[in-house]
Amino acid sequence: MTRTRPGELTLGKTIMTCADFQDRLPELFELKADLSADEHLRTCENCAALVRDLEYIAQQAKLLLPIHEPSPTVWDRISTAMRNEQGSQGGSSKPPVPPPAGR
Amino acid sequence: MSAGASESKPANHHHLRRNPPIVGEAEAIAAAQAGDERAFETLYALHKRRVYSLCLRMLGNVAAAEDLTQDAFLQLYRKIGTFRGDSAFSTWLHRLAVNVVLMHLRKKGLPQISLEEALEPSQDDGPRKDFGGRDLQLSGSIDRVTLERAIEDLPPGYRLVFVLHDVEGYEHNEIADMLSCSIGNSKSQLHKARMKLRDLLRTGQRKETAV
Repeated sequence: MTRTRPGELTLGKTIMTCADFQDRLPELFELKADLSADEHLRTCENCAALVRDLEYIAQQAKLLLPIHEPSPTVWDRISTAMRNEQGSQGGSSKPPVPPPAGR
Repeated sequence: MSAGASESKPANHHHLRRNPPIVGEAEAIAAAQAGDERAFETLYALHKRRVYSLCLRMLGNVAAAEDLTQDAFLQLYRKIGTFRGDSAFSTWLHRLAVNVVLMHLRKKGLPQISLEEALEPSQDDGPRKDFGGRDLQLSGSIDRVTLERAIEDLPPGYRLVFVLHDVEGYEHNEIADMLSCSIGNSKSQLHKARMKLRDLLRTGQRKETAV
């Protein structure tokens, strides 16, 4: 397979440069386009590696869903603060309803 | 940017992991709106990890993250009466939590004061085009801890959009709504964040290789 250097022109045919391709990359990712058939990627190892890395980062990020848990004291503090606010409202247990904000 | 000011439409997307139907949530919301503290505790139990994880990732500090989690749920307590169900409750709550985080960042006078600035770190921080240097490939080489650390090193604006989109699974229209920015801005920030992360991860790998 013929490899082109980034930004290079091939004989008789203008190919997309790395800069052009990388400018389009956010849009391609957003469209979830199948990049395996992309002409530039088939000939540019550098951009192919970039795409693999960015896909890998996005894939790994999905594994970072919330695993962190606040300590039990956080709820204790929230509960105490809620009761204090209830007390300052004269004992009503209903949460205060703020005035509509432009809705 | 009030949490209840503009609710986005429910997202119709592939990230089902973010907003799965939660049994009993609707009833708990209604009861909490009527002042039932037990119901509010149920809502806390259902959503505490997501809110806390966002705070922790944005602040990198357990004590501060717990403080902000408390603030976010107190805000929820005060505003739950305004929730109308136009969007998923978790999205609505998350928007509220994002506001609490942004307020905190502004108060702390961190490098990004305004939201626009938070979403537009200096150009020097932006991604550069990659025209070479393919000596390292990330695929298969990043563990969770390494990625979490690299995310911590992102500028706050990049970090927030990356966490909301790639980690939490929000769509750009929802992020734009939460952050009061354009959808294009959200997309652009996400790409810059991924490029920056790649730089950070590759730099880390090079350091390890050099040792």
